[in-house]
Amino acid sequence: MTVSHDVLSHGVLSRDVLVVGGGPAGLSAAARLAAAGLTVAIADEQPELGGQYFRRPSPAVLRAHGDHRPEGGRLIARVRELGVDCLTGHLVWGVADDGRTLFATAPDGAAVRLRARHVIVATGAYERTHPFPGWQLPGVTTPGFAQHLAAADGTPVGRRVLVAGSGPFLLPVACSLLDAGAEVIGVAEAGHPYTPSLRATAALRHPARLRELAGYMARLARARVPIWQGRVVTGASGDDSVSAVTLAATADPSRPVGTFAVDAVCVGYGFRPQTELARLLGCEIRADAATGDAAPVTDAFGRTSRPGVYVVGEAAGIGGVHLARARGRLTAAHILAARGGGDRREIVRLAARTRALGRFTALGEALYPSPAALQDALVSALPDETVVCRCEAVTASDVRAAATDRAGGDLNAAKSWSRAGMGPCQGRFCGFAVAGLVRAARGGERGEPVFPARQPVRPVPVETLLALGEQEPEGDAA
Amino acid sequence: MSVTRITVDGEPVDATAGSSLTAAFVAARRWRLRDNPVSGEPRGPFCGMGVCFECEVTVDGRPGVRACLTRVVPGMTVETGAPVETGPPSVGTRP
Ligand SMILES: Cc1cc2nc3c(=O)[nH]c(=O)nc-3n(C[C@H](O)[C@H](O)[C@H](O)COP(=O)(O)OP(=O)(O)OC[C@H]3O[C@@H](n4cnc5c(N)ncnc54)[C@H](O)[C@@H]3O)c2cc1C
Ligand code: FES
Repeated sequence: MTVSHDVLSHGVLSRDVLVVGGGPAGLSAAARLAAAGLTVAIADEQPELGGQYFRRPSPAVLRAHGDHRPEGGRLIARVRELGVDCLTGHLVWGVADDGRTLFATAPDGAAVRLRARHVIVATGAYERTHPFPGWQLPGVTTPGFAQHLAAADGTPVGRRVLVAGSGPFLLPVACSLLDAGAEVIGVAEAGHPYTPSLRATAALRHPARLRELAGYMARLARARVPIWQGRVVTGASGDDSVSAVTLAATADPSRPVGTFAVDAVCVGYGFRPQTELARLLGCEIRADAATGDAAPVTDAFGRTSRPGVYVVGEAAGIGGVHLARARGRLTAAHILAARGGGDRREIVRLAARTRALGRFTALGEALYPSPAALQDALVSALPDETVVCRCEAVTASDVRAAATDRAGGDLNAAKSWSRAGMGPCQGRFCGFAVAGLVRAARGGERGEPVFPARQPVRPVPVETLLALGEQEPEGDAA
Repeated sequence: MSVTRITVDGEPVDATAGSSLTAAFVAARRWRLRDNPVSGEPRGPFCGMGVCFECEVTVDGRPGVRACLTRVVPGMTVETGAPVETGPPSVGTRP
């Protein structure tokens, strides 16, 4: 949607609240704040609201199968009815020198400035990927992409598909692929989460989680889809697209245990918070010891080190859709209370729910290998010739050489010398491996978990920058 | 019915109106959308969420459009491969 011109004055949109990201977290916050009478705008680069979890099915899928997540459709409808300005197709890519004005690009390339008293960053997460020889071949995708293709577009990513990586998300993806008509040749899980073990018994106290996982596993068993545990993808091959994939034991990735004919491979190791905008806004971040990821420092209400800037949902830490929504609502309730409105009991209730959901997430995570452990296991076995940075085609040996010889074990210097992380994805998909390679060059000592955030957070058309130069603001403060 | 025709590299391709453009490519088994500018290797859509930029195509003359963030509109014209030289380039990712 393009915003009508009466909404914008000189390319500037000012509201009480700006929400960046129209996923479950951002929508939940926006709905609560708009219902209380605040003026709210949501910007999202997707063509429709919903984010990842509430991604809207195509009209054809809706007609044929109905809405698989109707609560998402209801939430979006409510946000629109409440008069929230929905700037879909708007990429928010930078922050002005004043540290408060955000820059966005409209679908037609026009430059838009966004200002608000309260800025809620709800930019969600992206998938944790780890390179292997051939992962850059067409037909090798993230599990999330296969999920969207199947659930939202009714299109199987391939006819014969391997799903691999680690984490609970692989199971629903495999089930969605079956529903879309694909043959799933197997699910390869790097860890051993699905054996009764000491760690797993903790999940028994959470029957809901167990029931959900058990449901997916029953579906896979009925379709005779094997779940291989302790297995990782170590190679893919093909000409113009993938035709074969190789598995090895997680404990010994250099020794292949099997090669399979496929026409698509979906590999992912869970999710990482998308924190670039929060960092550009000056929010303090810290490295999470368990995941090795960067997470903004937030309190229970989503407040950051920058007054008036909040981070909610998976941008603040991975925890699933229910936690994302609860965090969005809690931040909204806190903003209302801080403005002298709101309802104390609502805050107490939401804070308790957020804490409980957080514990629930931690229990689930304990079943799977920690990302830091995976990084250790996978990085040392990474063959030298593997393309690590997809964008700039930088190999593992390039990164190893840069990290050891020239960068002195510094992540950002290794990036400058090797060019890994300098392409359009800005190191989001190679960053986990590059950090692991640099860490290995340092003898295992931990350092910066992610590349520094850069502006623009995604490539921006030149016409946007030109337009921005032409409409310099004339003292139009929020 | 929502099945419609779009044009991809001059050829007619069946697609579903309102679905994502990447779904149209995957359904037609057209995985190779571009070649990597450094290595020349074939590349196709990877993340489906706007992050990897491996799905960039030219839509109705507009280069640098991420197919995964684009909905199929009847009659749309798509060119895969390197962007047409006349279009404005994107900036900000190369030092
Ligand atoms: C590809 C993918 C598929 C997933 N599928 C599932 C699933 O099927 N089931 C499940 O339980 N979980 C799924 N997840 C996990 C998902 O992250 C959470 O369950 C949930 O969607 C998190 O909600 P959120 O509101 O925090 O973020 P999200 O839902 O990720 O929403 C964030 C929104 O912010 C927008 N955004 C980000 N940066 C910018 C920017 N700079 N400018 C403008 N807009 C921006 C994005 O376009 C997105 O719409 C998936 C994750 C991914 C990455
Ligand atoms: S598939 Fe990654 S940006 Fe479109």
